[in-house]
Amino acid sequence: MKEADRIRVPMREQPVKDRVKNFDSVPLGYSEEEAMAEARRCIQCKDRPCMMRCPVNMKISAMIETIAEGNFKEAYLIAKEDNPIPAISGRVCPQESQCEAVCTMGKKADAINIGKLEAFIGDWAMRNGVTEELHIDEKDKKVAVIGSGPAGISCAVDLRKLGYQVTMFEALHVAGGVLQYGIPAFRLPKDIVDCELSYLLKIGVDVRLNHIVGQNVMLDELRREFDAIFVGTGAGAPRFLNIEGEELMGIYSANEFLIRVNLMKAYDFPEHDTPIVCGARVGVMGAGNVAMDVARCAVRLGAEEVYILYRRTKRESPAREEELRHALEEGVVFVELVNPTRLLGGDDGWVKGIELARMKLGEPDSSGRPRPVMIEGSEFIMELDTVVNALGTVPNRLFLGRTPELETTGWGAIKVDENLMTNIEGVFAGGDSTSGGATVIQALGEGRAAAASIHNYLSGR
Amino acid sequence: MPHRITRKEDLNTMDYLIEVEAPMVAERFRPGNFTVLITVPQGERIPMSIQKAEDGKITMFIKRLGKTSIELDGFEVGDSLESVIGPLGNPPEIKRYGKVVFASDLVCGHAENYALCKALQKIDGNHVISIQTFPTKDDVYPTEELSEAVCDEYYLTTLDGSRGIKGHYNDLLRDLLYQEKVDIIFAGGDIPALRDLSKLTEPYDIPTIVTVRQIMIDATGMCGSCRVFIDGEMKLTCIDGPMFDAHKLDFKDIINRLSMFKKKEVEAMEYYKSKTGAR
Repeated sequence: MKEADRIRVPMREQPVKDRVKNFDSVPLGYSEEEAMAEARRCIQCKDRPCMMRCPVNMKISAMIETIAEGNFKEAYLIAKEDNPIPAISGRVCPQESQCEAVCTMGKKADAINIGKLEAFIGDWAMRNGVTEELHIDEKDKKVAVIGSGPAGISCAVDLRKLGYQVTMFEALHVAGGVLQYGIPAFRLPKDIVDCELSYLLKIGVDVRLNHIVGQNVMLDELRREFDAIFVGTGAGAPRFLNIEGEELMGIYSANEFLIRVNLMKAYDFPEHDTPIVCGARVGVMGAGNVAMDVARCAVRLGAEEVYILYRRTKRESPAREEELRHALEEGVVFVELVNPTRLLGGDDGWVKGIELARMKLGEPDSSGRPRPVMIEGSEFIMELDTVVNALGTVPNRLFLGRTPELETTGWGAIKVDENLMTNIEGVFAGGDSTSGGATVIQALGEGRAAAASIHNYLSGR
Repeated sequence: MPHRITRKEDLNTMDYLIEVEAPMVAERFRPGNFTVLITVPQGERIPMSIQKAEDGKITMFIKRLGKTSIELDGFEVGDSLESVIGPLGNPPEIKRYGKVVFASDLVCGHAENYALCKALQKIDGNHVISIQTFPTKDDVYPTEELSEAVCDEYYLTTLDGSRGIKGHYNDLLRDLLYQEKVDIIFAGGDIPALRDLSKLTEPYDIPTIVTVRQIMIDATGMCGSCRVFIDGEMKLTCIDGPMFDAHKLDFKDIINRLSMFKKKEVEAMEYYKSKTGAR
């Protein structure tokens, strides 16, 4: 191997001093030449572990081979066969623990930068107006897809390609689910989300916004109108800590913070109407991707000090490598081995600090990670004026509460069988509504699997 | 789906009525439901009470208070709103309660007063008493928008006594509860007044159900912004409410958190004025 081939073609990024002042994409994307050079590093190994490890089994090596040849259109069509939204998943997938983790090249040198090549090819197609030519053999059977996030998108696309009449129900005033309200624009530019979503309309999916199943449309009605239903309602409800002080002003769930910033564009206040109050000293509880997103938004909203407060250490952080790196580069301070015990308020009703207990790592727990154990008497106070709770989400009880006939686990995830069918005949589910909180690509994979099951179900197989 | 304004009238110098086409909300509305409006594409999502839902249209009472309500006041009949979403919330059961009171002192409360009284009055065995409070005689809404025609017993009060009975609905209720037995009280409007109502009715042990106004964004249970505490347990106004048992509510928390974005609201208003030249 040539020495030059050992390292990745570097990804150009916005300099830190600039990007902390805007919500534009941090990675600037490969040029055609850069993408071809990176693609040529791939040795086209026979085993293709990357594809095996991909939750949607994208034909990654074939895509890379055609990029290397400069045949971008072909590469795009290959990507699109298995993945309806490559420009999105290329940006938000945890490649370092999936395709890139098992890359043969990675054993001896840098793994191929699969994520950035995937994003490149998605962007290239958008820029050049390239789309796949579809010939759809129409079927008269109707399928309802509840939720327009990643699981819903992949399920709807696959079913539509098979000819089913697909209607998608979205509770919010824009489609995209977590891609719109959750992931900030500096990580996933919204014009890219809009463009990928316009594909749904183009292939004839009927997208109905402001339809809140369980609230203004009932599952029963959909069961009467549709031959099958896919539930991809995500895990959109915040989990609170139930500690003292959660009623104070200046305390947000990560959902609220991100919905204000991303969906309602509070970073562009007052041009956009929805405000956000972000103080000078911000504490973010949790250390996953959502916590990094919140911390980096806070930096951009002008916070002077932003702390990630985590009960384990950096090494156990569930965030993507790139998000953690970007956050640290942008000045976010990672405070390890602390656990919040109460929130402190001033006479004015605003939060003024948090009491944290020091932790130490004990024996591994069921997740395989060392269990954090509180050190008695170690509590200390950190002064903060904004606290954001990014400790995970749970499935939304609005939908589940109004559909008691749907069986769930103890913590509200929808129960499904091996075909992703729920206890109700013809009603399937996937994504975070069944797993409780995973990745975009896993949701895409489950949406696809559910589409295949629904096809089997409707064709009487 | 365009949401065309079909009627718009002043109720007094501060409040106005707006009727918009919203077939889905109108068809599925139950008294006590609310809607979320988005006026323009860059607008906020604002929760709004509904007075009437008929013929594919809903009617709301709005106060010229913040940027959005003033901007919407600039809309005319024939103009369209960006989104009218719902119906939302978890409305109370419309059933036989016996002697029922609905008391209100602000726009949103007056809209709920009308909707609830109208529905409750139709149930056999209910005797519906409506009380509406306005600051002065000049603030009293046109008769056809008051709840007088949709209840069995009606009281109008003004704070300065310039029309109807002098005082707030709480003053009237203090006397009324002393004299007669009431089975349930509903109320909506100013939150501190609801807190006072709660204190007033607690010794009588009268079930008191009040509409909570709290800051919302999605209004579907996602953001947690509208959290309130009922006997210490967290509930969401958007999906568990907006009507709650007043005797169990932590009013201090509600009043406190309603002010979280006050400075930003002023900023939004100033910006809007500078942009449009609005006064």
